[in-house]
Amino acid sequence: MQVRRLPSGGRIDRDRPLAFRFNGKGYMGFSGDTLASALLANKVRLTARSFKYHRPRGIMGSGPEEPATLVELEGRHASANRAATTVRLEDGMAARSVNCWPSPGLDLGAVSQLFAGLIPAGFYYKTFKWPGWRLYEPAIRRAAGLAGAPDAPPQDGHFEAVHAHADVLVVGAGPAGLMAALVAGRAGCRVFLADERAEAGGSLLDRRLEIAGGPALDWVAETVAELTSMPNVMHLQDATVWAYREHNFLMVNERSPANPSIQERNWRVRAGHVILATGAIERGLVFPDNDRPGVMLASAAQAYVNRFAVKPGERAVVFANNDSAYAAAANLLASGVDVAAIADSRDAVPGHASDIAGDIPVMAGSVVTGVRGQRSVKGATVSGRDGRGASTIECDMLLHSGGWNPAVHLFSQSRGSLRYDESLATFVPDEAAQACVSVGAAAGELSLASALRTGAEAVARTTGTEMPDLPTATGESYAITPLWRVDAPGAKGRAFLDIQNDVTVDDVHLALREGYDNVEHVKRYTTGGMGFDQGKTGNINIIGTIALQKGVPLQDVGATTFRPPYTPVSFGAIGGIREESVVLPYRHTPVTRWNLDHGAFMYEAGARWRRPGYFPRGDETFQETVNRECRAVREGVGVYDGSPLGKFELKGRDVGRFLDHVYTNLMSTLEPGQCRYGFMLTEDGLILDDGVAMRLGEHRWLVSTSTAHADTVNGHMEELLQTQFPAWNVYVTTVTSQWNNATVCGPKARAVVAALGTDIGLSPEELPFMRFADGHVAGLPARVVRVSFTGELSFEINVAPRHMRELWERIMETGVPFGIEPVGSEASHVLRVEKGFLSLGHEVDGTVDAHDLGMGWIMSRKKADYVGKRSVELRRRSKAVRRELVGLLPVDKKIQIPEGAPLTPGGEKRPSEGLVTACVWSVVLNRWVALALLENGKSRHGETVHVRLKDATIAADVMEPVFYDPDGRKMRS
Amino acid sequence: MMLIPCPFCGHRNESEFAYGGPVKPDRPEPHETGDEDWVEWLTTVPNPLGPVEERWWHVKGCGTWLTIWRDTRTHEIVEGPGDAG
Amino acid sequence: MGYDASFERLPINACFDLKGSESALGEWMGAELLPGFPTEANRCCKADGLSLDHVGPCRWLLQADIDREAELNAALRPHAAPAEASIVRISDTMTTFRVAGADAAHVLAIGCPLDLHDTAFPEDAVSFTEFFGHKALVRRCAGGFDVSVEQSFGDMTEDCLARALR
Repeated sequence: MQVRRLPSGGRIDRDRPLAFRFNGKGYMGFSGDTLASALLANKVRLTARSFKYHRPRGIMGSGPEEPATLVELEGRHASANRAATTVRLEDGMAARSVNCWPSPGLDLGAVSQLFAGLIPAGFYYKTFKWPGWRLYEPAIRRAAGLAGAPDAPPQDGHFEAVHAHADVLVVGAGPAGLMAALVAGRAGCRVFLADERAEAGGSLLDRRLEIAGGPALDWVAETVAELTSMPNVMHLQDATVWAYREHNFLMVNERSPANPSIQERNWRVRAGHVILATGAIERGLVFPDNDRPGVMLASAAQAYVNRFAVKPGERAVVFANNDSAYAAAANLLASGVDVAAIADSRDAVPGHASDIAGDIPVMAGSVVTGVRGQRSVKGATVSGRDGRGASTIECDMLLHSGGWNPAVHLFSQSRGSLRYDESLATFVPDEAAQACVSVGAAAGELSLASALRTGAEAVARTTGTEMPDLPTATGESYAITPLWRVDAPGAKGRAFLDIQNDVTVDDVHLALREGYDNVEHVKRYTTGGMGFDQGKTGNINIIGTIALQKGVPLQDVGATTFRPPYTPVSFGAIGGIREESVVLPYRHTPVTRWNLDHGAFMYEAGARWRRPGYFPRGDETFQETVNRECRAVREGVGVYDGSPLGKFELKGRDVGRFLDHVYTNLMSTLEPGQCRYGFMLTEDGLILDDGVAMRLGEHRWLVSTSTAHADTVNGHMEELLQTQFPAWNVYVTTVTSQWNNATVCGPKARAVVAALGTDIGLSPEELPFMRFADGHVAGLPARVVRVSFTGELSFEINVAPRHMRELWERIMETGVPFGIEPVGSEASHVLRVEKGFLSLGHEVDGTVDAHDLGMGWIMSRKKADYVGKRSVELRRRSKAVRRELVGLLPVDKKIQIPEGAPLTPGGEKRPSEGLVTACVWSVVLNRWVALALLENGKSRHGETVHVRLKDATIAADVMEPVFYDPDGRKMRS
Repeated sequence: MMLIPCPFCGHRNESEFAYGGPVKPDRPEPHETGDEDWVEWLTTVPNPLGPVEERWWHVKGCGTWLTIWRDTRTHEIVEGPGDAG
Repeated sequence: MGYDASFERLPINACFDLKGSESALGEWMGAELLPGFPTEANRCCKADGLSLDHVGPCRWLLQADIDREAELNAALRPHAAPAEASIVRISDTMTTFRVAGADAAHVLAIGCPLDLHDTAFPEDAVSFTEFFGHKALVRRCAGGFDVSVEQSFGDMTEDCLARALR
């Protein structure tokens, strides 16, 4: 039974009842409810337990400021740690409280209240230091127990992230925001209007105000209708602007997109101008036991009766230091709630406020010094500020208002500065840092008329349009005398500053006593303001408490930094469609499909390419597969897909001298038809890439790079050409995806290419090693290049991607009589290690140079200068000990050395003298062989060195880093 | 997410660019530069609190290597000392 | 399907990457071959089934139906061009997706940070930008947009588009 539901009124649809469950019990609510309003309608008061002390808590707010009731949604709505006040009720929803087990009524963790006095601020930091926080953290986290992440992706729908652009982004669809959007829309601007609530109106939904002589919500409806009719206006509700980043880039989390298959959407909006109409948030008062279920913000109670037609209680005591609570009290009274008294801490109550109070007794100069009832408010003790005349008033609800704080969160995120305003007793926006304007309550303009005016003005000024005629609005006025805490004699008990994180006045005092006297330090030491609510109701009270204790003005204490998100956002919304198969990007070649169809085990290689690791067959072991593929290349013929290699066509008069500058060796002397292997260095002398340059014609060259470094090399070349040599005539065109290649390698490679049919002469005389020729292979236009990355006779057959799959299939067909095997990257790795060929990332690790690798010949002496030359020379002059590339043969040939293992002198636990860069089972030597970087390795051939593992050593003999065909006869054959 | 002015394309999202680092002085003539000066040029990168001149590569756009002055405190793109007037 | 939009992967185009000064290129190719050089950055000129896209400083893409590749290749003679004119056939380099329908612009915006509103991206606009994290060429087509990505990212882009259109 919705016993607390009013018979009429409110923004709910009584024709659409919704069933839901909370902590296992079934309830009913209406469409238009939040979970919080539905719980209150059902008279559920004890809804949560606190984070640290497990104190009983109820619903305290009505929106994102809610500090107490966090819930975990279950089933298809699965979502953790949501403020009950921001959860739109849906049929079949199931929720439960966090922080308690098994329920908030019977919470076993509540035993910690008994020790509460022993858990002051910083307790964990001080107590759980030895031997380390990590030992204690899991148990403590479990006890504190926020909800866990959902264990499955959403079942009905997905997330989306999308870009948007606007001339004017209006944040908030209250009176100021609607007015701003209207003026901007009429001026023809592209407007993006986003508001966090389910419907437009902002604070007008919560209150009973008039615009243009009628109910304010009529004006809202008319305005929304006009905005909807404008094609240049995008208007979103249930959409929170949660981040304001540099260059007017803002993020909007839309939770009810029109597209039903989308659960949440994250807009990334780039705006010309931003209008911040974010309203204001009521703050609480700080008095003993101000966290009991039934203690509620006055504005929240007002919202529950007006917007949700729910009486949050039957009899209220109101406690305030400002005028706004009077209207709340009057609205409650009009809805049938008994308002026992208004305790106002001010000595004099302004006349217009007393007028609003009417028959409600007003107790000026009074404060609440205590609350009766643990699980539900039963009464409030009210006394004078000096503690005299204390009396207890029976009530089931204590409504409090400490004043209004402009919601400056986004303004502050945008790096705008804040100013403490004495008359409003709060921080207001000061200097903007980006193209944005705060309007309405967000700017401290707390009356309805000024909200409408400032909203219109801001846009009129920005767009250079005329001010429209403004509608009349109900007059209000606002006055406040700050009260940062109740310290009347007799006020005993915990007075909370941050309800969610259980931070009390005493905790802040302790932090100050212990020397944490900067507001940012107080925040971190006490965790005040670090909860899901980010201290929306309590932060300024912390600042006020510090100011009082230190005897300085609030302006000097300052506010802590506001950071995104303004309210919690699902990670899924931020990621958008990037889940499952597209979490990471991937690249395919035209042969990828074939590889998958032929059972290849796929790896992710450099630059996001998916490549076959190996092609298992039957019940082979991994090693048997790799050995078979290696033997095919060494003894017969294999083929691999070399398409991912980076390729760039260079054109121009100065390409030769440019290549001489970027490569260590001389390239300009190549004749058309020739190619040469070379190193590119960075200016600090480290190896950037190894690759092959080919001269295609007088002014045309092709540079091929390693797969992983294609983009890096492209950027390197372009940067040099555009910033250092702008006058040189060199044009670079990326052709990585214009040329695919199948590389046929092994002693029978020539026979296979011949059998494919080609008009290119394949003999060693016609097409020797490191030459290329253009023509046809298998009837397809092709370029055949004689390079070798396996040490065998190789023909790299390059074709356009449109022909690649056909070429590949023809090779596999034609190769059958020759026993051809497709070769994966595992076998390629073995083949190159047997030859002692380098691999970037293995032997080339960002410390070695060409000399260390035994490739000093690649460092041209003829050239006066090239990128990296000066630095390598400088480093080599230092005579420091270098780690040099060697081959290693484990003394026991059946022992494999883990790649990356350190070498230490004698295998002792001493600083390493090198590391193993690769270790493979060699099919030609029938044993494990390894490559390593070893201190002074070149002069240590024949020595036995030791690999140091955790509990063992492996002895290995040092040799030349080449295990097969040291003269390279096979690849030149 | 910054909005970076590209001389060819106009203002574009930062995600279209690759960061190229602060602009160093011109590369000195290697053989006319002492070891210390070379190392200084190589390893000392401007890192001011405030405007810094830096390069960005419009790699996903038109391919231009461009130079901007960015205030490291605010991400604001500002006029460099040479741009005034 | 949640959106009023669909996509298809188009066959490759004939595409030539042209670099150099307008005068060097114009002189080599002859004015009659070209639809004319666009006067603005990131705009295209179209004539006679050819499109000349100004996609970078001193850089254009000449595109046409794939049937005309051989004819264009013969006319452009890329290998014979002088040092000052770089002409490279790159027809296979990109794969193009046509996204069309009332919600096409929204679907594009899921992957693309560029402002594609018709005031910012008119009929003759063409530009390299980003699509699902990778470099892409975007232009308008009847009822939507053509997005060309590097061919090796084609399958991934298709995967992303299918997910975006759910």
